[in-house]
Amino acid sequence: MLTMTIAWRNIFRQKRRTTLTILTLLGGFTLSAISIGWSDGTYNRIIEMFTRNRLGHIQIHAAGYLDRPSLYRNITNGAELGSRIEDIPEVEAWTPRLFSAALASVAEKTSGVQIVGINPEREARATRFDRKIIDGRSLSAEAAHETVIGRGLARTLKAGCGDEIVVVSQGADGSIANDLYTIVGILESGDAIQDQASLYLHLADAQELLVLAGAVHELVVIASSLEDVAQATEAIQSRLNEPNLEVAPWQEFARPFYVAMKADQQGSWIGLFIIVLIVSIGVLNTILMTVLERTREYGVLKAVGTRPGQVFRLVLYEVWIMSIVGVTIGAGISLIINYTLSIHGIVMPQAFTYGGMEFTHYYAEVNARSILIPAVTVILSAVLVSILPALRAARVAPARALRTH
Amino acid sequence: MSHADTHDLIVTTGVTKTYQDNGVPVHAVRGIDLTIRCGEFTAIVGPSGSGKTTILNIISGLDTVTSGEVWLAGKQLSAMSGTELSDFRRDRVGFIFQAYNLIPVLTVEENVEYIMLLQGVSKQERHDRVDKILGELGLAGFAHRLPTKLSGGQQQRVAIARAMVSGPAIILADEPTANLDSKTGAELLDMMRTLNENSGITFLFSTHDTQIMERARRLITLRDGVIHSDEVRG
Repeated sequence: MLTMTIAWRNIFRQKRRTTLTILTLLGGFTLSAISIGWSDGTYNRIIEMFTRNRLGHIQIHAAGYLDRPSLYRNITNGAELGSRIEDIPEVEAWTPRLFSAALASVAEKTSGVQIVGINPEREARATRFDRKIIDGRSLSAEAAHETVIGRGLARTLKAGCGDEIVVVSQGADGSIANDLYTIVGILESGDAIQDQASLYLHLADAQELLVLAGAVHELVVIASSLEDVAQATEAIQSRLNEPNLEVAPWQEFARPFYVAMKADQQGSWIGLFIIVLIVSIGVLNTILMTVLERTREYGVLKAVGTRPGQVFRLVLYEVWIMSIVGVTIGAGISLIINYTLSIHGIVMPQAFTYGGMEFTHYYAEVNARSILIPAVTVILSAVLVSILPALRAARVAPARALRTH
Repeated sequence: MSHADTHDLIVTTGVTKTYQDNGVPVHAVRGIDLTIRCGEFTAIVGPSGSGKTTILNIISGLDTVTSGEVWLAGKQLSAMSGTELSDFRRDRVGFIFQAYNLIPVLTVEENVEYIMLLQGVSKQERHDRVDKILGELGLAGFAHRLPTKLSGGQQQRVAIARAMVSGPAIILADEPTANLDSKTGAELLDMMRTLNENSGITFLFSTHDTQIMERARRLITLRDGVIHSDEVRG
């Protein structure tokens, strides 16, 4: 207890040096916490935009569809499956989709398109489909031979709301599928590549065109949060338990995107390592100087009967106390900064496009790991680098130490 | 103790200590045979470099011998590990240094009770013993002051209190009056002499202060690392 008292009072002896050490620890912690919060915020926002706005967190397909998408690998009981999973607590919404390639023409302009048959109401709840309409309106609740097309496609076809569009494809029965639809809305999903080819029909219209009555290719599931995806996937797999179905989280069906995100995040650990290294060198320097200055004092402590282990602990306690103070103040500062950045973000000097989506702001995130990882890393590294000076203090030869000034 | 009778507190036989100073061997003490009996008030005197402090450090286990043996209170010091030596000094040896060497961040009271805390003495007993010794040494009103707020004489009194409070077998005092004016030095020496007479604690000084020499009941003179004379006074 007295060792702790001495350690506590020692840190107030050299106020300037203690302040400098605490500032080093605080600065290292704050930089690390902001760096992690920022990295998490940015990546999670990108992931959320990809999944929540487009792909969904979890997708359910007929077995083999993800490897080789085909008109014929479909699910015939989509509505029933959806109703079986919608009461799972981690499931926020689900929506069915039907896909097919087609040709679309407006007047003399023709372009290749991807038909996406959707349930407008469910799609609005799941992926906020209605909020992406930049001109006109969304599809009617009931099938009415209406279509919403991507902004890029509208440009290619020089089409606008009210125009009629001819869609030609192949029906599941081998027939030539063609029909006429009215463009009711122009959509901007945030994915410019996708918007150059997307043509949205009411699910019933798409099923009729493709001669796939009651069939869907995909059920998109939105989980309550990104953190709940794994649990929701497990619950859905367990609930459905059908061998002819594949339930995949976004990390599987968007594997290249997931791998790219992971690689980027790995890179940010290098930055964290450099910060911790700088903090460690700063702390080592301070503690070594302190130990050298107090050699005589350690000699006295040992002379009057203090065990080497107690002297060792005395040095480590000082570092530990300064680390706790630095981390506590740093936690407060970084929480405020991360919170502010999570609300307002920072405008990027130059917007960048990732997977067809444009990003204009950096956002941070307030989470536990952005505090816990730097706290553990900074305290541990400070204590670790102090072991050497602490050993030096513990091994001081009292007779020699008492001769120093 | 195999080398002496039960009244012998310190026994050294053939103690030598050789330092290396930039590769040059320096013979600090050369073959010291010394016996200090319980309750003595002894001064080791001699010119600078004669080996006074070295022999004190060796006797207390702060330094090791190059050859020879040291027995203190029946224990052979060279047979002890670092931790055993720490515990031995804590329980059996009190130190008074020339530069006082109080722990600067602890108050007078905390400095005095420090060794008792290491010994695991109960709070109440520590408190009682600290109060008593501070009263005896005229430091009753200074318990909560830091050493830096005290005069040199007061700091040395605290050092004496710290050395005595745990009830050691011997107090080793290395030039205890060197930093004090002669009046304060004389007062402290009289105080130590009284404590020696009243409590029976053995005092061993290393000094060239004539005031200590006058008060010592035994005077050992070192020259060039060997005992030149050993005079016991009435």
